[in-house]
Amino acid sequence: METQQEIIKVQKLVKRYGDFTAVDGSEFSVHNGEVFGLLGPNGAGKTTTLEMLVGLRKPDEGTAIVGGFDITKELDKVKEVIGVQLQSTTLFELLTVDEILHLYGSFYREHISIPELIDDMLLTEKKNSRIKGLSGGQKQRLAIALALVHDPQIIFLDEPTTGLDPQARRTLWDIILRLKERGKTVVLTTHYMDEAHVLCDRIAIMDQGKLIALDTPSELVRNLQSDSAVEFKFNDEVDIALSEIDGVKQVGSQKDVHVLYTDDLQKTLTSLIAIASEKQLKLVDLQTRTATLEDVFIHMTGRRLREG
Amino acid sequence: MRSYYLLTLAQLRIFLRNRQVLFWTLAFPIVLMVMLGSFLGNGNGVSITAAVVDQDKSEQSKNLVKEMEKNEAVSLEKSSNEKDVLDQLKQGDLTLVITIPKGYGENLAGGNKADPFKLPVYYNETNMAMSQVGLQLVDNAVDTISKKSVSYEPVVITESKGVEALNLRYIDFLVPGIVAMMIMSNNMNGVAGQISSWRERGILRRMQGTTLKASTFIAAQITARFMLNGLQAMIVLAVAWAAFGIEVRGSWLTVIAFVTLGTLAFMAIGFIIAGIAKTPESAGPIAGFLSFPMLFLGGVFFPIRDMPEFLQPFVQILPIAHLSHALRETMNVGASFLDLGMEAMILGGWLIGAFIVASFTFKWE
Repeated sequence: METQQEIIKVQKLVKRYGDFTAVDGSEFSVHNGEVFGLLGPNGAGKTTTLEMLVGLRKPDEGTAIVGGFDITKELDKVKEVIGVQLQSTTLFELLTVDEILHLYGSFYREHISIPELIDDMLLTEKKNSRIKGLSGGQKQRLAIALALVHDPQIIFLDEPTTGLDPQARRTLWDIILRLKERGKTVVLTTHYMDEAHVLCDRIAIMDQGKLIALDTPSELVRNLQSDSAVEFKFNDEVDIALSEIDGVKQVGSQKDVHVLYTDDLQKTLTSLIAIASEKQLKLVDLQTRTATLEDVFIHMTGRRLREG
Repeated sequence: MRSYYLLTLAQLRIFLRNRQVLFWTLAFPIVLMVMLGSFLGNGNGVSITAAVVDQDKSEQSKNLVKEMEKNEAVSLEKSSNEKDVLDQLKQGDLTLVITIPKGYGENLAGGNKADPFKLPVYYNETNMAMSQVGLQLVDNAVDTISKKSVSYEPVVITESKGVEALNLRYIDFLVPGIVAMMIMSNNMNGVAGQISSWRERGILRRMQGTTLKASTFIAAQITARFMLNGLQAMIVLAVAWAAFGIEVRGSWLTVIAFVTLGTLAFMAIGFIIAGIAKTPESAGPIAGFLSFPMLFLGGVFFPIRDMPEFLQPFVQILPIAHLSHALRETMNVGASFLDLGMEAMILGGWLIGAFIVASFTFKWE
């Protein structure tokens, strides 16, 4: 990994809003041709980081080199080598797909063939439709098409699949993986763990403006050392040694929600229910699931990715 | 250059596809113009209906009626029933009732100079202004008769000369005002609303992420809005011409020059509002707060000289006042651009000042 060419180098980026530090000295590198994920809950500073990299916000301290250009000094050159899809952007709703692509194409010195781009983004049928009438998935694919119109080396996608139905998300994943095959570098933010797992070569986990982990998805989960999680509450506050339940490898509890990590789900569940009956405790909201990056996050921060 | 062209085209497409906005921004000035023009457009607003009851029916009384009929400002109806017409006067259907009692002719022929004949004229006290005008007109007629009967030779006479050589109707005053109003509301309110909504929806931010220059974007906005305003102004003028026979007496180039200046000045103010307004919802009321006083104080519907004295200094700096005045002078009087240097300079001052302020208050996001 270390031998790969660094296409983005982030150096101690800081962004403050009054007393609140949104991004607190992030430092990381993105390699040429990889899909790099910025993961974290809302307000972790992912979007702010990304917006500083594309020149929409000025960093208070630090800088970054994007595609060989300094974002604080050579922003115009940076803009030529990057493509951007922003969170919840709306476009001119009364223009058609074809018109807006030509319009955005004209903002750059050169642009790729618009009909081919429309085919690539599976928008051929909607070529002459107004943006107003597109579905959520189609709008998002159009937003990505706009990011690609000048054939940039690096593509920034801010929560590309938020709010889409599962099928539309998968279509978008295919598109992102195709971009990677073509040798593009993709930087995306998400708070979906499954998405980060499928798409990203490496993931940076952010929390409260700080970078708290950076690794491949499988390494991150492997560090957790368990593959199942049991989540529950007791309706009374009790003091039990949860780590003594059969099969439990780790305990991750926050407030009144308890999480047990185990490799043997059945054994742990049986044991948990037995103990609860014996001590006459009532189990509430009991659920089991596969350990995911979400658990990595809970484990590292003691908080969930998506609150509520 | 291509982005300038495509952005202008995109903006024009957005205008044309937003049928509702297009229709109502045109319908409002036209309906307002036709309505006000039909109610108030003809004559100078004063019309007096008087009834004369000739009880004398002599040669002399007929002369008096004839004399009164000469005045075009009074429409005179003859009646024989005094009671009827007095009732109509009380209801406000008549302004004046003049009764010529029996004995008028004899009295005049008799030439009793010491005791002039009294001619009763009834008027409605609730409508003093109109009655005064009417009484004045009757006085004149009676005076003429009196003078004739004594072979009066005037020593001094007045010669009244109108200062404006043209006979201007209210509609002549109104049409340029309507065009000015349309330019103000389309640009100031239009720009404020559209830009703040584009900002809210992230459209501006997305463009900021490209290599597009802000100046290109603004230039395209100006071009598209100027084209739209030009078109709308032409439509309003065409309707004014068809409905009321209003013509542009001055040079079309001067009209276009002021439409351009007005468009730019009000767009700049619109950009300031878009910069101040935190949400698109607040842009509307802020623009309304500015456009409403301008509509009523800026000489759109009423001449500025009719405004109260204490408002004059304030009224004199309003950009719409100068835009409507300049358009009026060009269209009605046929003033040239050079005659209107003052107006052009004040509008230009607004334009430059507002663009400077706008460049400080403007935010892409």
